[in-house]
Amino acid sequence: MIEVKNVAKKFGRKKVLKDVSFTAEKGKITCLIGINGVGKTTILKAIMGLTPYESGEILINGEKIHPATYEKITFIPDTITMLPNMKIREAFTFMVDFYDSWNSERASELLKFFRLNEDDRISELSKGNTAKVNLILGLALDVDYVLMDEPFSGIDIFSREQIADVFTSHLIEDRGVIITTHEINDIEHLIDKAVLLDNGVILKEFDTEEVRENEGKSVIDVMREVYQA
Amino acid sequence: MNVKFNNRDPVYVQVIRHFKEQIATGIFEPGQEIPSRRELANQLKINPNTAQRAYKEMEEQGLIFTEGNLPSRITNDEKVFQQVREELILEAVGAFVDSIRTINVPLNEVLHLVEQNYHKKGDSQ
Amino acid sequence: MNRYMKLVNFEFNRFIKLYFVLIAFTIVVQLSGVVVKSKSYLNGANEAIKESMLTKSEYVIQYGPMSFIDISMSPWIMGPIALCAITLVIYVFFIWYRDWVGKNTFSYRLFMLPTARLNIYLAKATTILLFVLGLIALQLVLLPIENQIFKWMVEDVYRIDLSVLEIANQYYLNLLFPKNILEFILFYGAGMTAVTMVFTAILFERSYRIKGIFYGIVYCAVSILIFLAPLLLQASLLENYFYPMELLFLEIAACVIVLAGAIWIGNLLIKNKVRV
Repeated sequence: MIEVKNVAKKFGRKKVLKDVSFTAEKGKITCLIGINGVGKTTILKAIMGLTPYESGEILINGEKIHPATYEKITFIPDTITMLPNMKIREAFTFMVDFYDSWNSERASELLKFFRLNEDDRISELSKGNTAKVNLILGLALDVDYVLMDEPFSGIDIFSREQIADVFTSHLIEDRGVIITTHEINDIEHLIDKAVLLDNGVILKEFDTEEVRENEGKSVIDVMREVYQA
Repeated sequence: MNVKFNNRDPVYVQVIRHFKEQIATGIFEPGQEIPSRRELANQLKINPNTAQRAYKEMEEQGLIFTEGNLPSRITNDEKVFQQVREELILEAVGAFVDSIRTINVPLNEVLHLVEQNYHKKGDSQ
Repeated sequence: MNRYMKLVNFEFNRFIKLYFVLIAFTIVVQLSGVVVKSKSYLNGANEAIKESMLTKSEYVIQYGPMSFIDISMSPWIMGPIALCAITLVIYVFFIWYRDWVGKNTFSYRLFMLPTARLNIYLAKATTILLFVLGLIALQLVLLPIENQIFKWMVEDVYRIDLSVLEIANQYYLNLLFPKNILEFILFYGAGMTAVTMVFTAILFERSYRIKGIFYGIVYCAVSILIFLAPLLLQASLLENYFYPMELLFLEIAACVIVLAGAIWIGNLLIKNKVRV
């Protein structure tokens, strides 16, 4: 489980996160929803130890993050995190070199699934294909948790569909996933849990099936209530 | 399999309904093998947890059964088939009656219209 | 340890192309310099001999002989050395900032590696050190070759021969080639301390951004003050109280303090404060 407890963070005088708390369980897809600039990315970075925060605590499987945690959790930012002059093959070699949890078989499986060529240079890929390589770099790690920042934004419709397919496959199964998005439409059926965020505050955290079952409301219904209240 | 889900009913309930429709229309035969939960999730583009939940629920309702490590199958129980069919018919009729009642139409008139429309739609198909 | 070595290898490869360009440039320019300088001396001599009807030895008496110092002090040799030095100084900064520039933010990847982040810091420092030593080694190989070419081109009468050791001890070159182990430790120790100090200052900036520039400057000022403390004390308050050797050891101690401080603070920053 990933536990975010009362995390607060400032950039200069601006409070980007004010007392943020939520949890994300293994085996579930948790979605952080909010318009751009409400602190979604900052939360993911804070979980990954990529940006400091002033107060609060974040635990991953009950522990604070330390170097070995990066074999258990990974982050797929909205831009690729490899050197652009690398070929896909070289990027994979880098991952093999540095991560014990890198699963080469799965990497080639994903490469085939996305119909990518490992001799292609990252800088020469289309936007959609770059996003796919970025996704592979995260998903081919045998980690418990995968954090994805806006995996669907700014790419073509077919790439979006392919990426959405990943969520319904064994690649995601049994892992804990946190994904951020500013529009829920594409993935409403895919997520187990929604966390609504605004101005650095968690407005609501709920189980999507529970809300449908007990209140007959869609995620968007709940969002409408929460954001327009 | 292609299912259009609505956003307000639980997805697992919609999956079960989808199965019931296929049982009632005979697309699924007694004892037929059904996709694994992983395959189902993939086909319907839903979360594997949801597929899991739908299967668990259907198993409890006796719609499907699993023996050991074999793939799950549609039930062999004719009674269940009958029940599902009745349930769907009653549900549709119930919804229809509710909406007819709200606009105060007498039964005879409705029955006549139903007959006419049913044939018309049947022909055009 | 293993991942540290891999990081060094990785960082090394990231600069290797430009490094080879530097090496090639150095070789080509320096060797050409030897030829050009020798030729121009010989041309001057030949013309003077023709016009003024001098013998070779009379020319040498009037105009002076040529030594390798004439070449090594020229821009032909100094230029490439200066260029290499400047490039490496710039790279001390760029080795960090390149991970933040552009859309492909490699810093994310580096800081998500399952290894102590200090290894990233140390790997970058090691890489700089290797590049410096590599260029020094190149120079050390080039000097005897250049000296030999010079000897082949210019007849004995015109020449003052110097050994490579003598050449290396001239002027600025003695900074690159220390005479003894103590000097080596002092020069290169001070050099690496300066590099780590700059690294840590960069991490201040990367952690606190605009405020970090200010922190970095203050930090550097304090570090430099500690480094110079023995010399300043000697010159002011204590009025030559220390023997030169004592002063040297105090200097080394100061250097070690600054180095340890840089790595310690650098580790804290990269571990807890740095932002991607």
